[in-house]
Amino acid sequence: MFGNDSQRPAKENSVSTNETVSPSAAALSAAGDSATGPRSPKGAGPARVKIKSRPADRIFFGLSFGSASLIVVILAAVAIFLIIKAAPAITANWKSDASLAEGPTAGYADFWSYVLPLVWGTLWASAIALLIGAPIAIGIALFISHYAPRRVAGVLGYLVDLLAAVPSIVFGLWGIIVIRPLLLPLSDWLNQNLGWIPIFGGQVSTVGSTVLAGSVVLAVMILPIISSISREIFLQTPRLNEEAALALGATKWEMIRLAVLPYARSGVVSATLLGLGRALGETMAIALIISPSIIFSLRILTEGENSQTIAANIALNFQIADGLQRQALIGTGLMLFVISLGVNLIARFIVVRTGPTATRKGKRRPPEGVTIPAASTAVEATALGKAGNSHTEGARA
Amino acid sequence: MKFKNVAAVGAIALVSAIALSACSAATPESTAAPTPTAAAFTIDPTLAGTITAGGSSAQANAEAAWTAAFTAVASGVTVNYDKSQGSGGGVTNWLAGSYDFAGSDSPLNQDNQTKSQAICGAGGALNFPVYLSGVAVIYNLPGVDLKLSSATLAKIFMLQVTTWDDPAIAADNKGATLPSTPITVVTRSDGSGTTANFTNYLSQVQPAIFTGTPGSAWPIAGTSGQQGGSGVVNTVTAGAGTIGYADHSSIGTATAAAIQSGTGTDFVSYSPDAATVAFEAAAVPAPLTDGDLSKKIDYTKISGADSYPIPLLSYAIACSTFADPAQAALVKSYIGFIGSDIGQKVAAKNAGSAPVPASILADFTASLDLIK
Repeated sequence: MFGNDSQRPAKENSVSTNETVSPSAAALSAAGDSATGPRSPKGAGPARVKIKSRPADRIFFGLSFGSASLIVVILAAVAIFLIIKAAPAITANWKSDASLAEGPTAGYADFWSYVLPLVWGTLWASAIALLIGAPIAIGIALFISHYAPRRVAGVLGYLVDLLAAVPSIVFGLWGIIVIRPLLLPLSDWLNQNLGWIPIFGGQVSTVGSTVLAGSVVLAVMILPIISSISREIFLQTPRLNEEAALALGATKWEMIRLAVLPYARSGVVSATLLGLGRALGETMAIALIISPSIIFSLRILTEGENSQTIAANIALNFQIADGLQRQALIGTGLMLFVISLGVNLIARFIVVRTGPTATRKGKRRPPEGVTIPAASTAVEATALGKAGNSHTEGARA
Repeated sequence: MKFKNVAAVGAIALVSAIALSACSAATPESTAAPTPTAAAFTIDPTLAGTITAGGSSAQANAEAAWTAAFTAVASGVTVNYDKSQGSGGGVTNWLAGSYDFAGSDSPLNQDNQTKSQAICGAGGALNFPVYLSGVAVIYNLPGVDLKLSSATLAKIFMLQVTTWDDPAIAADNKGATLPSTPITVVTRSDGSGTTANFTNYLSQVQPAIFTGTPGSAWPIAGTSGQQGGSGVVNTVTAGAGTIGYADHSSIGTATAAAIQSGTGTDFVSYSPDAATVAFEAAAVPAPLTDGDLSKKIDYTKISGADSYPIPLLSYAIACSTFADPAQAALVKSYIGFIGSDIGQKVAAKNAGSAPVPASILADFTASLDLIK
């Protein structure tokens, strides 16, 4: 896991290298990547000997190697901090401890009875956000990559990326002031007509601080991540595959279904999981909008039966908490860390497992002709590094 | 801080008064009534140094006013009060030795008092009640001047009374036209001293009805939880048929209900004086150590038409022994100023708080003398 992370910058380099095939970029990637060994036999060997003799290159290598190792160190430091700080609260006797019997942790039998509803709430709110956001994001990506005229696509792509730059507190305020009242009629309607379905049941909210409102805002927040990564993946579909499908008489939709979607599947899945990662950790918007209870609840239209999320719970209670209560909150943070790690691992697993399919397709891709637009945001660049793994490996094989 | 000559006292009191009027120029309403028993206090203008403190956000506005007034006289002093930490963070950082004093909505518990000996020596810590306000019950029900008995209030917040035309509410408001709309109860979703005061009030006054655990986290599931006092106020104001609670100094234009005082027939609206009178009656000394001014508020002792039944209190917590005597003198002087009549007036005018009763302020002098 850590090793993979430290290699990521190198992989990003190689994505662009594979497309542009410029010798200098190849040399650069080889120099920054000496930990993983030579990538392409031709050119990298001699270039490396020459580079090593120059102090500037050694300094640059040192700096980039330092940056790469810093990621591992920071990640380890965060994990160690969480474990050390959380351990006393996890192992404490919650029933007899005076500090845990008051404040935010009052009334729980042990750490797990406190954290498990929060874990559920975190997953539940994120899942609904994903359910709302992912299809729209993929739709936007498809429109930009395959339907929109080039100019519209450029502007639209830019606007979607701009959405990623809006601070989450602004989304939170927008959610409170605009989305909350806006969703009230829909909540009423769903509750009256579909109230027999558990998630729409219960006493419908009159204020609007519901899981639904929170998830809608979350969905908007994860939109840019999913759509910009998916867009890049869709654009990488081999032109030959698309043309072949069209030549066989497929309509545009059938072409997308037969050629684009299967090709992009693993990339889109990992884009979605990255969006999930964002949703899991989102704090301010949720803390501001949702009226929380620490319970297991499916309901999304009520005021009093919304499951609280971990991040929002920490934000809301950290100020008042002291001593062991603080450590209990840090313990919930550790759980969030574990969940996020799990989501990332699953994302990687999916990419790796579905890799061979992408590899075969990658081989058939013409060396030139498919143009990859430069990654326009930092988010995208990172995402490309992740999502682009399959292509990297394809080109390497 | 001994009074060496009367002229100096007079001169400095004058300076303080000028500072006070300068601070209050921007606030139109004057909430403080002059108290006849003045706990006179002088600020030594030659003081210099930095006081670092933090904690409760409830007393943050008052701290800002005190700092402005104090440093207007003692211009060599800087006071940094960090309100971002909250009461819990204030106590935690203070116990870690980062603060000269902590602002907290509750006095230290026994556990933390024991811990404080690590930084304060054997004398431990002293709690000073410095900030008094009231918990206002705010609602949005146009055209109704709501009066609530403690029993009805407890039932509403226990979600047992769910519509505005419930017989319990109608009995409290004879002659008022009450709609049949549902009641939306708005509470704090974040941990808060206001919640602690309010839940303590409900569970002391109506223990049979309000069965939730009193504390800084709202204990009853099913309410609309909003972040911060402003979140509650905004949601109550924006909603229909809403009711919530907030520190009176932060309710803005929201309408507050009159609450039954004691078990009698008096329904009292909040006023600073009513909070002062109520707190004086309800404050039970609960010292953790010699000279400690911790108070347990016994809400059941509050009664009468001149007492607002839900006072809200916040403390400054400082060591009895400082490592540096000069710093001790500085903090002593600052808390002494806060606990003086003029200090309480500064807070009342600028932060909308209620003056702490003079009988309690009178104890400050003896306790401050313990700070070394």
